[in-house]
Amino acid sequence: MEVGRLPISASQRSKLIAAGYTTLSSFSSLSPSHLARDLKISDNEAAEIMRVASHSHRLDGSAGGCGTVNGAQTAWDMLHEEEMFPRITTSCEDLDNILGGGINCKEVTEIGGVPGIGKTQLGIQLAINVQIPVDYGGLGGKAIYIDTEGSFMVERALQIAEACIEDMSECGGLLRKDSQACQLKMHPNNILENIFYFRVCSYTEQIALINYLDKFISEHKDVKIVIVDSVTFHFRQDFDDMALRTRLLSGMALKLMKLAKDFSLAVVLLNQVTTKYIDGSFQLTLALGDSWSHSCTNRVILYWNGNERYAYIDKSPSLRSASAPYSVTSKGIRNSASNCKRIKMM
Amino acid sequence: MTPENLLHRLPSTQKCTFGCPVLDRCLGGGIPCNSITELVAESGCGKTQLCLQLALSAQLPPSLGGLSASSLYIHTEFSFPSRRLHQLSHAFITSHPRIFNNDPCDRIFVHAVYSADQLFDIMPKIESFLENMNAQLPVKLIVIDSIAALFRSEFENTPIELKRRSSLFFKISGKLKSLAKRFGLAVVVTNQVVDLMGHSEGMNGLKVGNLGSLVSSGRRVCPALGLAWANCVNSRLFLSRNEEVVGEENGSVDVSACGGGDFLPRQTRRRLHVVFAPHLPDSSCEFVIRREGVFGVER
Repeated sequence: MEVGRLPISASQRSKLIAAGYTTLSSFSSLSPSHLARDLKISDNEAAEIMRVASHSHRLDGSAGGCGTVNGAQTAWDMLHEEEMFPRITTSCEDLDNILGGGINCKEVTEIGGVPGIGKTQLGIQLAINVQIPVDYGGLGGKAIYIDTEGSFMVERALQIAEACIEDMSECGGLLRKDSQACQLKMHPNNILENIFYFRVCSYTEQIALINYLDKFISEHKDVKIVIVDSVTFHFRQDFDDMALRTRLLSGMALKLMKLAKDFSLAVVLLNQVTTKYIDGSFQLTLALGDSWSHSCTNRVILYWNGNERYAYIDKSPSLRSASAPYSVTSKGIRNSASNCKRIKMM
Repeated sequence: MTPENLLHRLPSTQKCTFGCPVLDRCLGGGIPCNSITELVAESGCGKTQLCLQLALSAQLPPSLGGLSASSLYIHTEFSFPSRRLHQLSHAFITSHPRIFNNDPCDRIFVHAVYSADQLFDIMPKIESFLENMNAQLPVKLIVIDSIAALFRSEFENTPIELKRRSSLFFKISGKLKSLAKRFGLAVVVTNQVVDLMGHSEGMNGLKVGNLGSLVSSGRRVCPALGLAWANCVNSRLFLSRNEEVVGEENGSVDVSACGGGDFLPRQTRRRLHVVFAPHLPDSSCEFVIRREGVFGVER
């Protein structure tokens, strides 16, 4: 954090900068008497500056550093940070439960399944749910939707957006939110406007776009989710040099992880399935190979169990392996019909 | 790189009507543009009939659900059914008297392709054909009938060849999708079916889409070309035909009482099912094939 943002007097600030202290981390590990000697001020004044600095640092919550390594954070700070960002709901309570509340920001989540299982539906639902206002328990953010296959249908997004607004109004009515600020002023067209939709037609376009996202998101800081549908389509063509493909994919994965961490947003990658020859038989596995499986924080597999759709947490550092049923309805992703539970919005 | 304004796409993606309101209702308006729709069926179910009908109805103006467009019809097995096309177009002109100045068959460009490599090789030619189209009735529908025929005989059953085959799927599909996006095309591809052997385990028994099993002519089938190709299309529609005893459904005939059922009059019932589509729920609709074309029926 910059010294210029500290709420201290101008003379104190100029003394700090003149002595060479431009960031918080540069003097936060010093003792007050040391700082007093450097700035030629009294011990009390130095202690006051340090107190203000550490208070601002705590409020800011940024990786201001603990003086030891620039950019390091204590685990305690990280826990507080995690609690600051609510998770993005999937509109299906069971699915939210196994995800620990929903899709997490600052993480890359990969979701894969056979065609027709609902990957694009889930992608569109998340692009809409990220826009749920803070008053209703959401993030009030915008979404970036990168479509590589052409599966995004605007009438379906409109249908899901209308259902989401309906659910929110119902919830708002139940909780009797009478204050002006909480009154729902959202219109389905607003929801569509808040989805930044990109269509890419080749792997070079895909990589160029993901490289560009850094600049785009710094200009649109309210983007809170990036969805790539699907991340794998353009990479399944013949690459004469497979090593090139692996390099491109890992470069892309690193970029996406960095985006998630730097801008505190969620990255959701939709993947296809393919068959793999394991132990003498063919089994289903997510496409792009073994090295790609390290590129995501969490991995969710969607599959059919009889006539019901299920989601399974395949890999996660913080969630336990579990599966949950969900269904795709005209309103979007919802609880499976056999469990008639009320959708919780908060 | 700027994001696309989704509001420009409202109220819905442009679709090409089938020329029949019942079929259109089942499919949310018709075949969508900017995507690849696959028609899967065993032979004789009506895939080619539907494709010919689409090539004609694409020429209707948008007010009637068409695209005001010509079509490119790529056929891969057998010769092009021109006699049937002429029959259909006569019926078409009769039902839309004021629309057509010329023969609608003039607006359907036919090309034969014999191998998958050839299809991929002519993509640049197709692209320049689309670029240089006259503006009055540009090509907005591409039909490939059928894609299965291109892939089913020339690839040996070795891992290298199968890998080459599936990477060709993605190359061709990627190219078609990028043409579809650039020119706003609707792409329709027809596919064949294979029988499901034995029990439903193994890759062929894998449930893809809404239907637990695809049944046609009383047997369980699954679409050809496998899981890789299923990942390349945006929507899949399944046409089935099954023989039913006349009157069995409403109980007016007691099959067992009629001595085994060999002498009962039978009729063919045809159904169109949505296997998967990003904008459609699980729905199906019955249809018949008449001289004038394919029509959905509501029972």
